[in-house]
Amino acid sequence: MGRGTYTKIMLGGHRRERLLALRGLALELWRDKTGFMGVVLTAALVCMALAAPWLAPHDPSAQDLRARLKPPAWTVQGTWNHVLGSDHLGRDVLSRVIYGSRVSLLVGAAVVLLAGTFGVVMGLIAGYRGGRTDNFIMRWIDTQVAFPGLLLALIILAVIGPSMLTVIIVLALNGWMVYGRMTRGAVLAVRQTAYVEAAEIVGCSGRRVIFRHILPNLTSPLLTLGILEFARIVLAEAALSFLGLGIQPPATSWGLDVATGKDYIFRAWWLVTMPGVAISVTVLAVNLVASWMRLISDPQEREKQFARQVAARKRRGRGFPVPQEVTPQ
Amino acid sequence: MKKTGTILQAVFVLALAVVLTVAANAQEVTIALGSEPTTLDPQLREDGGERAVNDNIYETLMARTPDGQLIPGLAAAPPKLVDPQSWEIKLRPGIKFHDETPLNAEAVVFSVKRIIDPQFNSEQISFFNTIKDARKVDDLTVQIITDGPDPILPSRLYWMKMVPPAYAQAPRFAEAPVGTGPYKFVQWNRGESILLEVNNDYWGEKPAIKTVKYRFVEEPGTRLAGLMAGEFDVITNLLPEFTQQVPQAIHIQGLEHPIIILNADGGPTQDVRVRQALNYAVDKEALAEGLFEKYAQIAQGQLLSPSFFGFNKEVGPYPYDPEKAKTLLQEAGAAGATVELIGTSGRWLKDRELVEAVAGYWEAVGIKPKVRIFEFNEYLNRLFDRKTRADAIFVVSSNELLDADKSFSAYYRAGGIGSSNSDADLAALIDKARSETDVDRRAALYHKAVKHAHEQAYFTWLLNIEDIYGVSARLEWPARVDAKILVQEMRLKK
Repeated sequence: MGRGTYTKIMLGGHRRERLLALRGLALELWRDKTGFMGVVLTAALVCMALAAPWLAPHDPSAQDLRARLKPPAWTVQGTWNHVLGSDHLGRDVLSRVIYGSRVSLLVGAAVVLLAGTFGVVMGLIAGYRGGRTDNFIMRWIDTQVAFPGLLLALIILAVIGPSMLTVIIVLALNGWMVYGRMTRGAVLAVRQTAYVEAAEIVGCSGRRVIFRHILPNLTSPLLTLGILEFARIVLAEAALSFLGLGIQPPATSWGLDVATGKDYIFRAWWLVTMPGVAISVTVLAVNLVASWMRLISDPQEREKQFARQVAARKRRGRGFPVPQEVTPQ
Repeated sequence: MKKTGTILQAVFVLALAVVLTVAANAQEVTIALGSEPTTLDPQLREDGGERAVNDNIYETLMARTPDGQLIPGLAAAPPKLVDPQSWEIKLRPGIKFHDETPLNAEAVVFSVKRIIDPQFNSEQISFFNTIKDARKVDDLTVQIITDGPDPILPSRLYWMKMVPPAYAQAPRFAEAPVGTGPYKFVQWNRGESILLEVNNDYWGEKPAIKTVKYRFVEEPGTRLAGLMAGEFDVITNLLPEFTQQVPQAIHIQGLEHPIIILNADGGPTQDVRVRQALNYAVDKEALAEGLFEKYAQIAQGQLLSPSFFGFNKEVGPYPYDPEKAKTLLQEAGAAGATVELIGTSGRWLKDRELVEAVAGYWEAVGIKPKVRIFEFNEYLNRLFDRKTRADAIFVVSSNELLDADKSFSAYYRAGGIGSSNSDADLAALIDKARSETDVDRRAALYHKAVKHAHEQAYFTWLLNIEDIYGVSARLEWPARVDAKILVQEMRLKK
């Protein structure tokens, strides 16, 4: 049953069927309150990044050295001119947080997508093919893991110069290996299961087996990994930018503002706290969305969820006083 | 039975050792540096971490008082000029290296020849590029021969550390140094600390501090936390924001001058009006008072501090006048021009912040600054790139010789390692001043060079930054103008 719905959602053939599936998805989202919150938060963050010029009260690079390190509005010396305070050059922290979301979200998403896609495809091929292909890909991964990331960044910098694109390329080149390794491991485990063997015996092509029968089983570990990587990448971008390998002023990112504000932490806590909170909120939102997506996309999870729903309905039917939601174990 | 006896003995000895160390701690200071020495060879690198340690182990023929007066060090008297190109130096008798070998004429000749040897390829060579040779006269007398007259040779000698001839050829020399100084090397735990102890046979005044420990802490915040926790006695490069929070903050007018080199040979900055506009556009006062919280002075329109030889009192800073800057840019037809500004991050105090702030000021008068913050190595490549000069390059110049020659040869003179002009007149003035032995005439030449460069606005002169140290409550230390951290001048409060 679980697998059936999944296939229908993903591959619903006719238009009506697709519409129905979408409605089902929306309903499911509404039912899962934390997932719903995650989606709303993520959407809000993306809107903030898109509408930055209209939302930000100041130009994020407009400096005023005589009004530097002003605390946030709600503290004793704060002013409403700088709601979240001003930084070490007297720039408005709120505006910088709003503008910084553009780079941080874009770099995070692009890198996870690029590195994830490439790593997963490599891992699938390695795990499914086995033998020499597997050996070749795994040794490639080993070699690249051993290669220092900063050196790679320097080489690329020398060739194309520092920019946001450089950061994305460097981080993607440097981050796909972990996806590859994990995918390969999971593929090796799933390959032995009866339904994969059955699919092969029936005569499914290799591509079909990989993408239809193996990949869906990997969604939950991959989503978890992607989220962990997203948070890491937001900070890795900051480290590169701080060294001068990435974003160039007057552009900024959350991570970069944390890195430059760090020195002032004993005097001006808001310099690191505000962009830091923005990073945490983003990671939390993406996490909630991912955990909901994991629930609806993982065949095993769907099975469990379905069983719980049936059990709950039955208990309600017998008139037992049951809690609204049965928490999963 | 016997075995337990030995163990007991060992425990007792250990306990005694612990008690002794605790007692010794009273005379120990810990200094937190921002970077670990890359080597402890005193003649090889141009490395602040190495210098901070070796300044206490090695000595030089000439020395300076804390306020910058040049005095004889290992030399018995100031060098005497015997002919226009040779200086004669008499050594103090009876001085020994830590390995008991004597400091004599041979050691001095060896040290001089070692550092100027092209094979040795010392990074400090820019301090000594006029020295041609050294020769022994008698056991305590040496002659140093220069390439043309060199009036500032005594200042140069203040930078050259004397090494023991035999031991300097041993492979261990770079990691276990032996000098004549007030402190002896004990131990180097790589990545963590270096330990020195007092040299009881020191020829000069006996230092009060018995042991010195250097720790390497890159993060300014961690250094500050360590000082507040009582772990460190001295921390370097304290941020101006924290001078109120530390037990003692010592600040002195430092040697560091952040400037921006403008390209006079090409791009929008080729026009002198644009270069002047870039000077008028920057509010130096706000930088000094805001960014550096008054721990910086406004540069006087020249790459020299008032205490340096060659400083021209009649030249001052370009005033902050954004309207004038806009007019000049209009006249030059450069309004809205893009100016590439190159900087780096984390090497000097607030380097990134300064570049961003200057870019902000330039933008305000209608220039489009294209800021490029490079990683330090890549930054150096751009700074020393002689073929294609960027429009504007940020650099912090530090002049330890306290004489115009070093800064001017590097940044003012056409063809210098970091200069961006091809002004033959200016180069001729600098060359003439270098070998002019008459002090007044030499000063006059530099005054002329300063004035000329100021009119031509070859740089955006910014500030002269003070050196700020955080010091624990128990330590007394008169900080020095030359930014050396000499432990022999420290003492603990009773």
